[in-house]
Amino acid sequence: MTITSFTYLLFLAAGVFIYYLLPRKWQWVELLGLSILFYCIVATPYTLIYILIATAAVYFATAFLEKGGRKAATAGVIAVVINAVLWFALKGYALWAPLFQVMGITVKAPVAALGMGYYTLQAVGYILDCYWGNSKPLKNPLQLLLFLCFFPQMITGPISRFHELEDMYEGRDLSYQNLTYGAQRILWGFFKKLVLAERVGVLVAAIWGNPEQYNGFYSWIAFVAFPLQLYADFSGCIDIALGTAQLFGIRLPENFNSPFFSRTTQEFWQRWHITLGTWTKDYILYPVLKCGSMQKLSRFLQKKWGKKSGKLAVTAVGMFCVWMFIGLWHGEMKYVVGESLWYWILLMLGEIFAKRCKKWKSTLGITGDSFSWHLFQSLRTFLIYAIGIVFFRADNLKEAFSFLGDVGGVLIGRHFNPWVLFDGSMEMLGIGSTDLWVIFCGVVLLFVAGALREKYGYAREWVSRQLLPFRWLVWCGLFLFVVLYGKYGAQYDSANFIYQAF
Amino acid sequence: MTREEVFERLNKVFQEVFDDETIKVNDSTTSEDIDDWDSFEHINLIVAVEEEFAIKIPMGKVVTMKNVGEMADIILQLGN
Repeated sequence: MTITSFTYLLFLAAGVFIYYLLPRKWQWVELLGLSILFYCIVATPYTLIYILIATAAVYFATAFLEKGGRKAATAGVIAVVINAVLWFALKGYALWAPLFQVMGITVKAPVAALGMGYYTLQAVGYILDCYWGNSKPLKNPLQLLLFLCFFPQMITGPISRFHELEDMYEGRDLSYQNLTYGAQRILWGFFKKLVLAERVGVLVAAIWGNPEQYNGFYSWIAFVAFPLQLYADFSGCIDIALGTAQLFGIRLPENFNSPFFSRTTQEFWQRWHITLGTWTKDYILYPVLKCGSMQKLSRFLQKKWGKKSGKLAVTAVGMFCVWMFIGLWHGEMKYVVGESLWYWILLMLGEIFAKRCKKWKSTLGITGDSFSWHLFQSLRTFLIYAIGIVFFRADNLKEAFSFLGDVGGVLIGRHFNPWVLFDGSMEMLGIGSTDLWVIFCGVVLLFVAGALREKYGYAREWVSRQLLPFRWLVWCGLFLFVVLYGKYGAQYDSANFIYQAF
Repeated sequence: MTREEVFERLNKVFQEVFDDETIKVNDSTTSEDIDDWDSFEHINLIVAVEEEFAIKIPMGKVVTMKNVGEMADIILQLGN
């Protein structure tokens, strides 16, 4: 069962029906049952044991934390280490396997638990929240298990914090708004995944699969299309997760906020994979920057290099830790030395030149609020992002650099073949002219929804304020669009979400 | 220490950290109201506040603090 299948919708319908028939105090038990059932259907059932081990470690550690003192801290550290080691052993295969290969030992990749990257971060966050006194440890281990394996967030997150979900144990009354908003959100996710991501994915896979034949402007197509595919895929899955949770009256945290409208790389990372960003900020960046040795270093550097440079140097160290962690969390060295390093350097350059850029802007008489300036900034941010995720798409660093070389080569006239955009060559990539139109309309729709969100808040709330015929026209139109143009079936395997791998 | 005194000293700290003598904070001031108040400056600000009031703000509070009003509450709680 995939979460874009009809079976999943039946699973959901039955789950929601029973949920609202139950007394509120028993509803969370049904959610736990549904989550375990979902896990056993979607993932390898025996891997559930890893989630149970993580839950047990967190439960006993947080029970100790309530007592306070040195033992509490030790228990917390042990639970964090257990979770980290489990994650590293099962998800970090690509990081440690080469060491064994050097010794001539071949180790088979282990089967990891579904959603391990996500629930491990939730578990560690929960331990720290309890340790810092921001959350009260749960008395019931089954409730903790539900927090870690709540089924909508098991595919690609979002990474929830305990305070965001702690009221889910109180149950909910049936609400028309939750049902309609939830269903609409799921439909929007289906549109992004089945209509857009799957279609663009065919194009991207064809070009990446044959770089010798598809070079020049083809590379540019893949270069621009992959960020779009990744966004539609990842945020589509998140929409389905958030919509699913809302059917049960539970609000999961948002993970995206129209990221391609961002003006700077820093802003982009506040709008893309938001829950991972806030997690690393609260549990890595702040503790690293505030620890005693970093403060000593900060004072030393401020004396030596001046206040601003000293602060910046320490910030750079903190951000380096964050980006290395994000790279490692993705589980392969190509993320660490390619993607993470690239964004870290760009973010630091942004910090270094921020004040100077302001001066240059005023010298050149550039109005910060003009549409053209915003467009320029958004395109620049997109370009920086697109370069970084080449490392995400490529199988290894060599392939990534070769692809970037091809993209850059076009700018100096190498493989200059712009006619492939117009002479029907695109249809050789596995998609027809109708598909290209569907992609175009889909991107326009995404852009309009993003623009509405920028201006009025959520697009669906804007739609909900319109007259009834208009509302029905919008949702029925979207439903038909998904039914008619969704890519189903085994050929493109719509089962796989890109971020499901983490 | 009264709340007014806390805000008077907080104004000085904010002006120094953000290099802007026009900054005046109140209960509802948040990072949205001050241009350079991002996650990096947040920690510099916290450290400057700790030095000014000779207190140690726990990590849990650093993470959950929503506005300057909450910051003042924590200072009063830890300082008295």
